[in-house]
Amino acid sequence: MWRQVLVALCLSLWICSPDLTLAEDPYLNRAYQLMSETPLIDGHNDLPWQLRMQFNNQLNKVNLDTLETTHTNIPKIKEGRLGAQFWAAYVPCETQYKDAVRQTLEQIDVVHRMCEKYPDTFKFVTTSQGIMDAFKENKTASLIGVEGGHSIDSSLGTLRTMYQLGVRYLTLTHSCNTPWADNWRVDDGSDPIQSGGLSPFGKQLIVEMNRLGMLIDLAHVPVSVMNQTLTMSVAPVIFSHSSAYAVCRHSRNVPDEILLKVKEKKGIVMVNFYNDYVTCSQKANISDVADHFDHIKKVGGAEIIGFGGDYDGVPRTPEGLEDVSKVPNLVAELLRRGWTDEEVKAALGNNLLRVMSEVERVRTQSTNNPGLCERVKRCGKDNSDHTG
Amino acid sequence: MMQMFRIDSNAAHACRHHIVSSTALETLHSVHAASQQGGKQTDLKMLSGWPVNMWLWILLTFIMPLLTSAYSEKERAQELMDRFPLIDGHNDLPLKIRVYYNNRLSQIDLQKISKAATDIYRLRAGSVQTQMFAAYVPCGAQEKDAVMLTLEQIDLVRRMCNKAQDLELVTTYDDLTNSMMKQKIACLISIEGGHSIDSSLAVLRMFYELGVRSMSLTHNCNTPWAETSTDLYGVFQRENNSLTPFGKSVVEEMNRLGMIVDLSHSSWETASAALKHSRAPVIFSHSSSHSICDNKRNVPDWLLRELEQKNGLIMVNLYSKFISCGKDANISDVADHFDHIKKIIGAKSIGIGGDFDGADSFPQGLQDVSKYPALIQELLKRNWSEQDLADVLRRNFLRVFKEVENVRDNSKHLIPSEDQIPSEKVKNLCRLDRQNPILQRSISGAKFILPNLYLMSSLLLFSSIFMNK
Repeated sequence: MWRQVLVALCLSLWICSPDLTLAEDPYLNRAYQLMSETPLIDGHNDLPWQLRMQFNNQLNKVNLDTLETTHTNIPKIKEGRLGAQFWAAYVPCETQYKDAVRQTLEQIDVVHRMCEKYPDTFKFVTTSQGIMDAFKENKTASLIGVEGGHSIDSSLGTLRTMYQLGVRYLTLTHSCNTPWADNWRVDDGSDPIQSGGLSPFGKQLIVEMNRLGMLIDLAHVPVSVMNQTLTMSVAPVIFSHSSAYAVCRHSRNVPDEILLKVKEKKGIVMVNFYNDYVTCSQKANISDVADHFDHIKKVGGAEIIGFGGDYDGVPRTPEGLEDVSKVPNLVAELLRRGWTDEEVKAALGNNLLRVMSEVERVRTQSTNNPGLCERVKRCGKDNSDHTG
Repeated sequence: MMQMFRIDSNAAHACRHHIVSSTALETLHSVHAASQQGGKQTDLKMLSGWPVNMWLWILLTFIMPLLTSAYSEKERAQELMDRFPLIDGHNDLPLKIRVYYNNRLSQIDLQKISKAATDIYRLRAGSVQTQMFAAYVPCGAQEKDAVMLTLEQIDLVRRMCNKAQDLELVTTYDDLTNSMMKQKIACLISIEGGHSIDSSLAVLRMFYELGVRSMSLTHNCNTPWAETSTDLYGVFQRENNSLTPFGKSVVEEMNRLGMIVDLSHSSWETASAALKHSRAPVIFSHSSSHSICDNKRNVPDWLLRELEQKNGLIMVNLYSKFISCGKDANISDVADHFDHIKKIIGAKSIGIGGDFDGADSFPQGLQDVSKYPALIQELLKRNWSEQDLADVLRRNFLRVFKEVENVRDNSKHLIPSEDQIPSEKVKNLCRLDRQNPILQRSISGAKFILPNLYLMSSLLLFSSIFMNK
């Protein structure tokens, strides 16, 4: 009997030991290996919003090394091998026509201050090269995306100054119409169609974003805006945190015909992990999320896929992906499903880097090539409105 | 017709302030000036009926010698300004571009702008080497969209200074001095009124990131934390609280950042409080002497002395109503201000802040930015030394700017301020209540319980042992 007890004890010790578990999961090991070669670039994280809601942006009251009330903290980031993160500078739709601009600046400021406070973990960057530099320094490259056109209060000057402050994507809408773009809720009838997609000003905005080198983010927009933008934009576009409509028919997700257009334009769809968008129910697991990756790969190819977890922006995350430390398990699952190393690295970061480099190239070209501005007369022959 | 930059006016709403018409500009001028009424018209005397040869005699005997000596003073002034070209503290060309051109630079030739007192041609003629351009938005935008409008004006100055080869945006002392060697006209950006930051230190920081290097604590309206010198807007009125604790936080953060504190437009009490609180020297970017012209926008002698004690700078405003307290003025009236201020606190505390394009009447002979040499000529006539004038023209400002940067560099141990204004001070319809925001997204219990498979399997193993027995 004692022999049996001893065997049982050994077995249970073995099962409980994470290090031994690691050695036994070749896929997870492979995942860690790949993630050490190519940065995981996540398209959307709402930690800044949590900092505002929980702490009023008072970073002196927060310790990101020990914070327990969010999906994201520094130990979890390290464990999750997060190579780069677009932090969302989000303000609620209720601020539209009020103080959206001021609040957005405050969110941009909190990201800057967070990076200054934890310089060993975060490095604020604004370019694809910057992401790689930070990765080589073993830091999480930190970028900013503004989530919702209401944040610019219909002002191109505001857009340009936000670009100057380091903002590198603008999600055209959040969950409300702007005076120049409809939001995703017109697709399920919850909001009225006002602009038929993008208004003339909305279309000017696309041109200006191309000229500036600001990534256009189509998460949260309706199909009409997706179509119009994909047609108009000279640079590739992104979906920072949206999943596959064919797998879960939610209006926040991307239909197959759009995936094909994204493929054509060499853009990227960064999969959102929120249960309600993954399984169209309140429950989901890693396998359900991996189904979205598989589907998008099947329809659009591995070159258009990325990670956009939406951590700290959602109330329910999948089993096995509860917080940012768990993402390597998803990578392991993809490997388990036969994804090649190249395909996984494309999804991890190479696709986003490609998109961002191309957007930067379009910007550089537009300074030299007034032709890009022919569509909009105001650019003038010397393209002089470029801020540099 | 589709408006190019502007959204269609269904975006017009209660929280948007419109600056669109030249009527608005006139209103702006009278508000911007906030002057007293009055001022006499100077009658032109009629000199008729004198014989021509009498005129010739007067010309030869009296006027020619004067012209000859005046010419050499003019030459001296020009030569001095060639060596020490002007750094001017305040110019409102961005306002004119907003009102007349809706910020569309493509419609403007920056070399020659007929609707303004400022353009590159005239800046060169006036030997202006550095111009602080105000990203001004009116007080009517306070509690509305002042922040957005200010961003647009900052963007305008950035675009303007990037567009023209002659102009160059600078943000540091070194860049400023280098721009002179490159023979560029340097642009500095200032904000004119604390209402532009909407009581948010984060916004102040972001403005600094965008290149703003100076801010007047108020324009013609009180903010929730500082007071103005004029009585036009009855907002945020307080007793004996000219610079609130949050106002002091603003000054502190400006010191930490390296942003110049500008006291033009502030009340004397606010100015005095800011002077006491600031670790760096401060400026009045466009104010004149209250002893010479008793307009509340000007600076009384006691406040000049406090300024000098702290190594600050008063940059004299040329607007007629602040010079002569009347509608008309001349160069001599302007020089009287310089003479007086020099008498009280010395030439090392003086600069020039013309206020061109921010006001509607300027002294005879000083109508636009090309005319500064005429002022220097007058001061030379009044026996100002070249050293004193070199200080006034640029060296005093450079000293202040350098010292402001030094204070910033010595503040590296300080973290960005997280002081916030009490929310009851800023409650208004155009502000979403921070204390009770609608939570679009919340993490309801971010804690999670991961089924401990390991523990369960261990228990199963143990139980299997006993079951086998």
